Order: sequence, then C-alpha cells, then structure tokens
Amino acid sequence: MRNSIYILLIALLSFSACDNGFEELNVNPTKPVQVSVANKLTATQKFMSSERYDNWRANLIYQSTMMQHISTTAGYWSGDKYTWNKGYASSLIDRYYENAVKSIEDVMFQLNAEEAPDEMKAIARIMRVYIYSRLTDLYGDVPYSEAGQAFISGILKPKYDAQSVIYPDLLKELEESAAALGSGTSGFGAADVIYQGDQAKWKRLANSLMLRLGFRLIKVDPSSSQAWVTKAINGGVMQSNDDVFFFPHDDTNNRNGNSEAFDADGNQRLSKTFVDWMQATGDPRLPVLARRNSDESTNPVDLKGLPNGLDSNTLEGATGETSTDAFAEPNITNIGQMNAPMFFQTYAEVEFMLAEANVRWGIGTDAEAHYNAGVTAAMKVLSMYGDGAVISDFDIADYLANNPYDSGNAIEQINNQYWAATFLNEYETFANWRRTGFPVLTPVNYPGNVTNGTIPRRLTYPESDQSNNPENYAAAVAAQGPDELTTRVWWDKQ
Amino acid sequence: MIKKVLKLLLIFCLFGFHYAEAQTTVTGTVTDGNSGIPLAGANIIEKGTSNGVSTDFDGNYSITISDQSTTLVISYIGYVTQEVAVNNQTVINVSLVEDASQLEEVVVTALGIKRSTKALGYSLTEVGGEEISTVKTTNAINSLQGKIAGVSISQNATGAAGSSRVIIRGNSSLTGNNQPLYIVDGVPIGNRNNGSAGLWGGSDGGDGISSLNPDDIESINVLKGGAASALYGSRAANGVIIVTTKSGKGQEGLGVEISSSVTFDNVDTSLTDYQTEYGHGIQARKPANIDEARDNGLSSWGARLDGSSVVQWDGESRPYSYVGNNLDHFYRVGTTFINTLALTNSSDKMNYRFSASDLTNEDIMPNAGLNRKTFSLNSSAILADKLTTTVNAKYIIENVQNRPRLSDAPGNANFTVANLPANVDVRTMNPGANEDLTERTYSTNTFSQNPYFAAYNFRNEDTKNRIIANSTLRYDITDWLYALVRGGVDHYTIRRTAVEPFGTAYKPLGGINETEIRYSQIDADFMIGAEKDITDKISTVAVFGANSNSVKTEQLNLGGNDFIVPGLEDIGNTLTQSRSISDFGQRKIGSLYGSVEVSYDNWAYLTFTGRNDWFSTLSAPGKTSPNDDFYPSINTSLILSEVLEMPDFVNFLKLRGGYSEVAGGAQDPYALSLTYEIFGNPVNGQPLGRVNGGTVPNANLVPFSKEETEIGIDARLFNNRLSLDLAYYSNTTTNDIVDVSTSVFSGYNGAKANLGKIENKGFEFLLGFTPIKTEDFTWSASFNGAHNNGKILATNETNSDVNLDEPRSRNVRITHIVGEAYGTIVGVSYERDNNGNIIYEIDGDGVPLAVLGARKILGEGVPPLTLGLSNTFRYKDFSLSFLIDGKFGGQVFSGTNTSLYGNGLHKVTLEGRENGLSVTGIDVDTGNEFTTTVAPENLATYYGRINDIAEEFVEDADYIKFRQLSIGYTFPKSILENIFLKDVNISFIASNLFYLKRSVDNIDPESAYNVGNSQGLEYFGVPSARSYGFNLNVKF
Repeated sequence: MRNSIYILLIALLSFSACDNGFEELNVNPTKPVQVSVANKLTATQKFMSSERYDNWRANLIYQSTMMQHISTTAGYWSGDKYTWNKGYASSLIDRYYENAVKSIEDVMFQLNAEEAPDEMKAIARIMRVYIYSRLTDLYGDVPYSEAGQAFISGILKPKYDAQSVIYPDLLKELEESAAALGSGTSGFGAADVIYQGDQAKWKRLANSLMLRLGFRLIKVDPSSSQAWVTKAINGGVMQSNDDVFFFPHDDTNNRNGNSEAFDADGNQRLSKTFVDWMQATGDPRLPVLARRNSDESTNPVDLKGLPNGLDSNTLEGATGETSTDAFAEPNITNIGQMNAPMFFQTYAEVEFMLAEANVRWGIGTDAEAHYNAGVTAAMKVLSMYGDGAVISDFDIADYLANNPYDSGNAIEQINNQYWAATFLNEYETFANWRRTGFPVLTPVNYPGNVTNGTIPRRLTYPESDQSNNPENYAAAVAAQGPDELTTRVWWDKQ
Repeated sequence: MIKKVLKLLLIFCLFGFHYAEAQTTVTGTVTDGNSGIPLAGANIIEKGTSNGVSTDFDGNYSITISDQSTTLVISYIGYVTQEVAVNNQTVINVSLVEDASQLEEVVVTALGIKRSTKALGYSLTEVGGEEISTVKTTNAINSLQGKIAGVSISQNATGAAGSSRVIIRGNSSLTGNNQPLYIVDGVPIGNRNNGSAGLWGGSDGGDGISSLNPDDIESINVLKGGAASALYGSRAANGVIIVTTKSGKGQEGLGVEISSSVTFDNVDTSLTDYQTEYGHGIQARKPANIDEARDNGLSSWGARLDGSSVVQWDGESRPYSYVGNNLDHFYRVGTTFINTLALTNSSDKMNYRFSASDLTNEDIMPNAGLNRKTFSLNSSAILADKLTTTVNAKYIIENVQNRPRLSDAPGNANFTVANLPANVDVRTMNPGANEDLTERTYSTNTFSQNPYFAAYNFRNEDTKNRIIANSTLRYDITDWLYALVRGGVDHYTIRRTAVEPFGTAYKPLGGINETEIRYSQIDADFMIGAEKDITDKISTVAVFGANSNSVKTEQLNLGGNDFIVPGLEDIGNTLTQSRSISDFGQRKIGSLYGSVEVSYDNWAYLTFTGRNDWFSTLSAPGKTSPNDDFYPSINTSLILSEVLEMPDFVNFLKLRGGYSEVAGGAQDPYALSLTYEIFGNPVNGQPLGRVNGGTVPNANLVPFSKEETEIGIDARLFNNRLSLDLAYYSNTTTNDIVDVSTSVFSGYNGAKANLGKIENKGFEFLLGFTPIKTEDFTWSASFNGAHNNGKILATNETNSDVNLDEPRSRNVRITHIVGEAYGTIVGVSYERDNNGNIIYEIDGDGVPLAVLGARKILGEGVPPLTLGLSNTFRYKDFSLSFLIDGKFGGQVFSGTNTSLYGNGLHKVTLEGRENGLSVTGIDVDTGNEFTTTVAPENLATYYGRINDIAEEFVEDADYIKFRQLSIGYTFPKSILENIFLKDVNISFIASNLFYLKRSVDNIDPESAYNVGNSQGLEYFGVPSARSYGFNLNVKF
C-alpha cells in the first residue's frame, strides 16, 4: 500500500507540469515572428505593381478598352463593350487589399512600433498614398481608415470612407511626408528598389503625386485644387526621366503583370482611336507601341487600329476584315517584355500638369516649354522598354515641329498627350480622362451594355462584400450612389 | 434453398424431443436450452435433502425420490438453476438456460482497460478478427461496413489503394476532421488522408488505417459515443476505434499458421446501361472526316449504327457498329493476393506471435496496384514476479503504383472510358503514346486524355515506410493494485513521385512533383489501477493516469516543369523548378485522467471518468486564457434482470445511460499569433517579406466541444436466442471552428472562430438471432441499423452558408445550411412557373433551352439510415455466411449521368433521335405554354442545356447491396490428425456481388471521388468491381 502511494506521488509529480515546454513548442521554427521592415517595403513595392490577375482584368480588359487604347472582338473583354463582369471589375480591390494594403499597413505599424526615422515613415506614407489613391480613383468611396488592419486592430469588416474624406488626408500625408524628407539616403537603402533610398527623389515624388491629386479636385473644389497644385509645384516636382516612379520587373520571377496578360491572352489589338491619333500626327511612338498581328510588321503604313465595341459577327460589316489579324496589336517585343517597367507616374505627366497649371492659373513658367518637355520625356522614357523602343532626338524634334504647342486649344492638346503618355498605366489614363474629358472619346453602343452607351465612370465593388460586410457596403452605396459602372466618384463632379 | 433450410429445421425440431418410458424413479435429460446439446455433469438434487445425482455423458440422469410431490433442483455451472416440481411425473427433461449475468464477457475499453460488458454504461461493439480476415479487403477497415450499427463506412471510388471514410454517429465538425481516433494495441496511430481528388481532379493518396494487415487483427472494438470514449478527452469527439492485434497467448508450443487468399475483381458492368443504338457524330450524322471526329471526340449524337464504314479519331475507317462495353475492354481483371505466415509460441513465462504478410494487388485500372508487406511481432513476457511486459512492433512497406486520377478529366482515364461513343473501341487508343512520346489524342480537346496515356504514361507512385510499435510494462503491486507504463510510436515516411509526362496534350513539356511526407506520433501513458471489493456488496475499479502525446508532421516538395530531354523524368531535367516545405507542425497534448467505477451487488454500476488535456497549440508566452480543458463523463449500468422479477423469456436485461463532454478539432500549431515569411524571389537582390498566410490568428481558439447523452437497453431473450441492443443518443457540437466571414477590405481572407454548432440525434439497434442451434447445425443472424438525424444549428456569426466542395460541372455544391442536415446538395434547378411547368427560352433555331433556375436544395449527401443484415449457417464442417447492407435517405449528384446526357450516351437521349423530341413547356418570353418538336440534329443543343441543370442529376442514393458472401469448409480433426495439421479451413469468398435495390442509374451510389466532408458528389472515380476468390487458412 505504501509503495503504491509513493508510485502515485512520483507519477503525479513527474506529470504535474503537463504543459512543460509547450510555449516553446508552439513557436514555428520555419516562420519568423517578424521580418525586417525593409523586406516588407520591397514586397509592398512589388505589390503596388501587382500581378497578372488585376492588370489583366481591371487595367487591360476594363480601362484600356474604355480609354480606347486597346480594342478587341473578344466577348469577355467587358470594358470594350461596357458590359459588366463583376469579378473583373473588382479585381484591383481583390488583389490590392490583400497584398499592397495589408502590407503597407503592416509596414506603417512596424515603423511606428520601432520608432523608425521620420524619413522612412515618409517613404512608406507616400507609397500608402499611392496605393489608396489608385483604389479611390477607380472605385470612389473605399475602406481607408480601417482597411487592411484585421490583425493590427481586429477590424474584420472595415467601414468605407468617403472619397471627400480620403482625398484631404492623402494630400495632407503627402505634404507632411515631403516635409520629412531630406537629401541623403534613406534607412531603407537598396531595399527601396524604386529610388534606392534617394530621399530627394521621394520628396519630388511626394510633390508630383500632390500635383496629380491636387488636379483631381478641379471639378469638385477648384480653389482647393489650385492651392494644392501651387503647393506641389513650390515644393519641387520630378525634374527628369531619372525621377520616374516605376517598379523594375525581371523576366524570371518578378514579371510585369501586363506583359503576362498579353502573353496569356492574344485578343488585344490597338484601338483605332489611338492608332489614328498617332498616325494623324506622324507620331514616332507608333512602331514602338504597335505591330501588325499577322506579320509583326511595324511599318506605320501597315498599322491599322481596330474599332472598339465590335465582336466577331460585326467585325466584317464594320471593317471589311473577317479576322482581326490585319490589325495592330501591342508590340510585345518592346512593351510586352516580361521585364518591362511598370510605370506609376512619369516625368512627362508632371510636365503636362505643369503646362496645364500655367495655362489655367498662370502658375509657374511658360506652358509651351512644359508641353515640349512633356512630349520629349514621354517619347524618351520609352527607351526603358529596351533598345527597340528608343526614339531619336531628331524624330522628337520633327514631331514637335509638326505638332507645335497650340495655345488656343492647350488644355485638350496637353491632355491628349497625357492620354498617350499613360498608355498601359490605364488607371491614370482613366482618372485623367474623367478629370479633363480629354481626349474626346466616342462611346460604343454594344448590345447588352449596362451603361446606356456611355463610357463607365468607375468600376464596382466585390460582390463578396455584400454578404461579408453588408452594413458597411450598404452605407457606401447609400452615400455614393448605386454600385454601378455609371456612378461618378466624388471628384468626378458632372 | 429456402426449402432445404425449412426441411433441416423440421428435422432438428424433431430431434429436440425425447421420449422416455414411464418408471417409478424420475429420469430425464438435461440439455442446453439454446443448442439442445446434452449437459454432462449437471447436478440434480431433491430439494431440501442431500439426495442427488449427476447427469452422465449424454446428459441423462435417473434419481429415486422419496416423495412424488417433491421438487428437483437442477443446476449446472454457468446456467440458471432450475427448480421443477415432480407432481407425479416420471420423466422430467430439463433444458437449462445460460446465465448471461454470469458470463463475464470482458472487452477492451478506452485506454486498453479491460472491463466486464455488464458494467458498461454505453454502447460498445466488438468485431472479431474472423470478420475481417475471412473476406479481406485492401483496407481492413472496409470489412466493418454494414456490421456495426451507427458506423457508416464509405469506400468510395478512390481505387484499391484509396482511403475510406468512417463516420460514427454522424458528423461532428463542419469543416474539420470527422473520422474517429484509431488506437492500435493501446496507442493512437495516425490516420491522415495523404491526398485526395477535388474539383480539378487529383488522386487519392491513401489513409493511415489501411496499413494494417487483416490477418493480424484479433478484434476491433468501436467506442461509439462520448461516454465510451471520454477517457480520450479532446480527441474523442468522433468516436474511437480500438484495434487489438493477435498475440501468441493461448498457443501451446510452436504454432504455424498460413493464410492465403486470392480475389479477382471484375468491373461491374451491370451498373451501366448506356444507349448502344446511335454512334459517334454530330447533328444525327456520323463524322464526315477525321477533323469532325476529333472535334467531337466524345459526342454520341451521331446516326443510327448501321455497320457502314466511318472514319474515326485516328483516321482509320471502321464499321459504324456497337463495339461492346468499353468498361470491359479497358479495365482488367484485378487481382489481390494476401499471404500471411504467422508463428506463435507460448510458454508459462512468455509468448509471441510473429507474422509476415504480403499483399499484392493489381487494380482493375491498368498499370495501377499496390504491394504491402507487413512484419509484425507481438510478444509478452513475465519478467519477474509481478512484472510483465508486452512489446508489439509492426513494420509496413507499401508501394503504390499509379494512384488513378479521379474527378476532372485531365489525366483521368475513367472520364474518357465512361464517355466513349458506342462505336469507338477504347482499345484502338492503345498504346497511348506515339513513338515520339507525345500523346495519341483522340480529341482536339486536349484535356480529354487518351486513357492508355493516362494509365501508362502518367506516373503517380509512392512508397510508404511505416513503423507502429508499442510497449507496456505492468507491475502488480498487490493483488488489487497495479501500475502500468505504456509507450508507442507511429512513424511513417511517404515518398511520392507524380509525373505529367512530356508529350501530354494539355501540357506538352510535362512536369514532375517529388514529395516526401513525414509523420510521427509518440504517445506515453502512466497508469495506476485498482480493483477492490470494499464490502461484500460494493466493489470498485479505478484507474488514474497521465498521458503525453506528440505529433510532428512535415512535407518536402520539389516541383519541376517543362522537361528538357524528352522521356527523362527527373527534376534536374526541367526548365523551372520550385521547392518548399509545407505542413510543418509540432504539437503536444499532456493529460491527467481518472476513471472510477463503483458497483453494488453485481447489478448496479456507476462510472465516472475525467480527463484534463493541456495543449501546446493553445500555449504562448504571456497568454492569460487557459491552455487546458476538462472532459468529464458519467455512465451507469443497471442489470434489471438481477433484481426484478422478469418474465421467463427474459434471460438478461440491462439498462444503461451516460453523459459525456469530449472535444475535437485537432488544433493547428502556431495558430495563436501572426508570423511572417520571406517569400518568392528577390527583386534586384532584395528579399521580399510579408505576413504569413491570409488568416487572422485567433489567440482564443479552443477545440470544439461535444456533449452527448446516451441511453440504451441490452437484453437477451428466449434462452438467449435473441439478443437486442438498443441505443438512443443525442449530441451537440458547440464551438466548432469555422471561418468568420471577413471583408476583402480587411486585408485577410479569413478568421477562425469557435462559432459552429451541430446536433446529431439518433438510435441504433443490434438484433442478434439464433433461430437454430444444434450440435450440427447453427443458424445465426444479426441485423443492425442506425438512423442519425444531423442538423446544422449555427455556422458562423451571421449563420451564412458554408460552402464545401463542388464537382467539375460546377453547377452543384455541398453546402452547410443552418437548419438543414449535414452536407446539403445545393445546385442549379429548373426554372418553373407556379404550376411547376419548366420554363424554356427558345433559341434562334427554335430549340427550347431550359432556363437555369436558382440554386436550391436538391438533397442531402449523407444518408441518415444505414442497415446491415448478416446470416451465418454452420452445418457440421461447412459454413455459409453473407452480408447485405444498405443506406437510405441520402442523395447523390451524378457527374457521370450529367456527362452521358450531354454526350448523348444516356438511354434517355434515345427518344426523338429519328423523328424529333416533343417538348412542352412555358416560353419565358411570352409566358405561354408551347409544344415544339426538337429536330434530331438539335437534340445535342437541347440536352446540352439540361446538362447544366443539377436538379436533373441529383438522385436518391438508396441502395441495398449483397456485400459479402463466404462459403467455408473446415477439415475435420479426424482427418488432420494424421497429417500434422491442426486446423485447415478453406472458403470461397465474394464481395459486392449485386444490388437488391439501387435508385440511381449508371453508377454505384457509393462512388464519391474523395472521403472528405463533401459527400454526395460522383464524378468519374474508378468504377465499382465485383470480387470473388478463395481464402485458405492452415494451422500446423
């Protein structure tokens, strides 16, 4: 009996710590509990460029065709026909929030927790502004203050913030970030694969984005728009193509999403609107951007744009062609390379905005000089696509000589050039077209379109949020208007 | 047959009567009331005197009595004592009834504790090894099908090396594991599913329990409810299956046993009934040229077969006539050889059993099969006074060749074979590859595979090396107190190579995946047990112990795409490669447990158990919420027949009841906090870092809990000829781990929370019946059944539907809906008007196309009612037994029939082939009724639309199957004595012979393509086969 009691006691003692070592065991040895914020910053920059999924759907299928850069007879290219594919329409939200937004919010959280230098926070804040501006410009009211924070603050169902609230905050963020940046190399160093930690470039980017977002307000709040544009220009904007804001892709594992879409699809042609515009002006960009589908000829006389809004039944009647082989398609040997840069904002765009600021409000110097600088930069920057995309100074000079600045029609001329300069960054093309109305595009009227034959003014939210976040979705629709392609975002005042 | 049985019955009834001459002394025979066998040595005593005699060898007695009105007391050990008043009788024949209450049937219960069945306050079913080793299956657990009330087994269409789904008393978890915990010789083994087919195809990777050799199994005990399994605490929610393997105990000297079985499997073509009148082609005509043949490779919308010449997929012209059943042409006769050699020995100090077994299977799918070698050594020894040890070890090597692809078409031979037109002979596609290694495609649809290419050129092979070992050391401290230490390990490695070869039509350069899966589980118990009579009426059995269980998993993956040198299937020979470690995890559970049984006067038993589990998965530095939980149970057993006056026909009556709280939902490790990862490839040399995973960690997650109340009756009646076991249970799962719906804007695509709730209520019955039991002839029957009423009570915070799998047709899905049964089939319905008429849209050619209606509930995927009936007849040395089982009340979506409609191979599609099909319905545009004739050339369009309507293809999955048959002969000892053999038994065995009832056409209703939670979806698994063969068992 006594023995048994001893054994029992020993047993209980040896097992009394039934959870001995459990805390250590439950730490995953293959996954770190934290990684360097620098690594996250690099990833966030990659997430800004995103992947094939949303570049294919939101950028190309919807916006590039609505903006008549691209056209196609394929039925699923909904933007060409103003039909509604909800999954395609929400694709930027679907990818951006789970990658770019989640990541930048995590970066901000970590920078704050680690009490990182203000300049590092400023760089992250500028990227954050860029991410949300792309989202709100495309969709209008979107979750901003509570977004991407399911882990950080436990918000599983974020509220949608009004664009009228988001915009002032984005501009304030840019102003503060620009102020926090100096001239040295950022603590992020080479992990910043966009500017390699060059604070001065980030500072100029902050002001250039301020210029862009400031201009967006021109219809809804012209005085505020002028004030921000002024502030941006005074702060110092991009100065050359060395300042271009883009993500560097490579041709192995970090491929350009647009190029991957071109590789996988094959239905895209260049729009007649775009090709005709370039041909009318003898634009040297045409053979760089386009080639004939059938034989890959880049001779401008062989390059013919496909009208938007056709399908395989209506093709022949409208064009006399039985197939789309005869039309020009994106010249993927230049602009469709897997390592093609993904442009977010170019120096050319900045020059065009400087020109417009001068025309509208007399801010800064001579609009013509800015126009010429913009056209030159837009042609020069193509060389980043590779040797085949280099446009000679002679051709540029020739083009400018034949298409001189027209002060009588400056706003349209400048923004038509802006339209050409943002080819493939259709997010910006679409936003600037809604802001300025230029170029003047003739809508298509495809049977079964959901816009009553008008060009869409926004894309729509994910269907999943109607069931996963019903109250906030309903509130957003109540505030902004129906969740449809024709609803205008706040700054796109009629 | 029936007549013969009746005749025999009659003869034996007559033998039951014995006539005797009248005498002054009382004479008679004492027999066993059950079998009629005479009882030798029974005592007959004149009541109140010392006058008594015993029966002789034939059960006869003769006693001289002093008083004609005296009473005789007849007794025999193990039987109920009877008193008979003489009342001037001179012949008194007595048949004694076995005293069930004295039969101390001992069974293995939770934690390997042996208990008297009388004391059990819950349902426990034991199946003897013979049930598993007579009609053998490649996965031994399948032998339980139809045999245990409340245990539903689905073998499904996963191939010979595939997994099984075993569900006890309904499903406990919405999305988690629902299969039971398996315990082998006291320690748990892993039963993970190592791969399964889904929406996009794939193949079944096999499960853990299939490793056991049927010849090594002594018994299988099923702990169905929580009260039975509560001592396993947090792992007990789905019930526990305890497997005890054979030992050398009881063997005298060296024993040698050889078991050999061979079975042949034939694809069951009786299931399919395709149209064979119209052939390959389109628009009611045969293909005009090779392009048309290849563009419409599987279209049976051609002309009436007329024997004329027609060009086929390969450009050859062949007669336009029926070529016979392609299933027969393609699938081969499967064979399974199972040979086991067992050596047993036993002395007073030790015993052992060593066995070596080889299972070689060739599946009906060409080039697929498995080989399993099992080595097993079970030994026990008395090491010293009071100290005994048991050491059991099994080593299993399993090689599987080409696990067949299931579900979606790519790589799936079954898909093509099932859909080929009547005039296209599948054998023309053999071999599957051209000389340059490219696939010989029969269709321009590259995703429809040449079945021979799929079978012979695709590779999907693996080798599993597994050791299951355990050891027990027991010390008897006193005659009523013992201490026991037990440890066990289950470790396996699976090395898998899967190749989509160079030349595959849909993937021209091919690809390879090399995988290694590692799993190990280590389990240790320390136990102290006591068994003591406290007073002469009150006794107690108590066990206290501690347990530690740890599991470690990991999977190494290497992938390569685009072979450089054709035909060299090596990872280095690929253009792009990837590598990763997945599924890495370590977890531990530490436990203390105890069980106390108190019994009163051998008729009232009360048992309490309790277990406290501590979880590593709930542990984190600084965490304040508990990392442990307590699981109690109470159960009682009352032997009413011991204390209450019972009618004569009641031999034994027990009332039992229990309540338990157990848990489940194996917690993933590392789920409490967020982790990060370096991922992808660096950009400009800069590494990328991000949050690991898209799920928000929930630091407060706990295993789901399951409460169950169970009551039951155990009765033996009519001289124990009839036994009845009834159980009713009601259980509720709460805090099931579910996905909280998360807005895409939150940055995460899911968050786990303890929100799900499921209820299962049901009853089970087991009726044992021995209509005849004589020395030479026995007929025993067993009928079991269970009805489970499962209901989803909550899914998540908004009680939104939980979507599980969908088949490749994508028009139907298994969904959990609050208020409905587990696993509802929800799919596209017909659009109908208020009167139920189908609404059509009329296309440009005037063809009415059924309008796709809303998705609605079309059925439930889990049949609530299961029944099993087995009969065993023994006549002298012959035995015959058969098993019939059935499942009822469930539905199945048939992907095969969907496809057969679309391709014009279903018999329904015959109507209208010559003169058009008359269709009446409502025109969606006008709302008016129309009647139109669909021209023969437009039938494909008409049926092509019906194809999309899942409602048409959800049918009752009810079936009654003649599952097993065995006819055995045991050689008489008299013959064997001279040839050194102890025991020889030979049987003819057969399984899956035919259906007595089947509702769904063309498929086996039990042919889901995986064993996951989404049951009720059929989509081109391996077709069912009939098996027959022989089993020989020889003991030296």
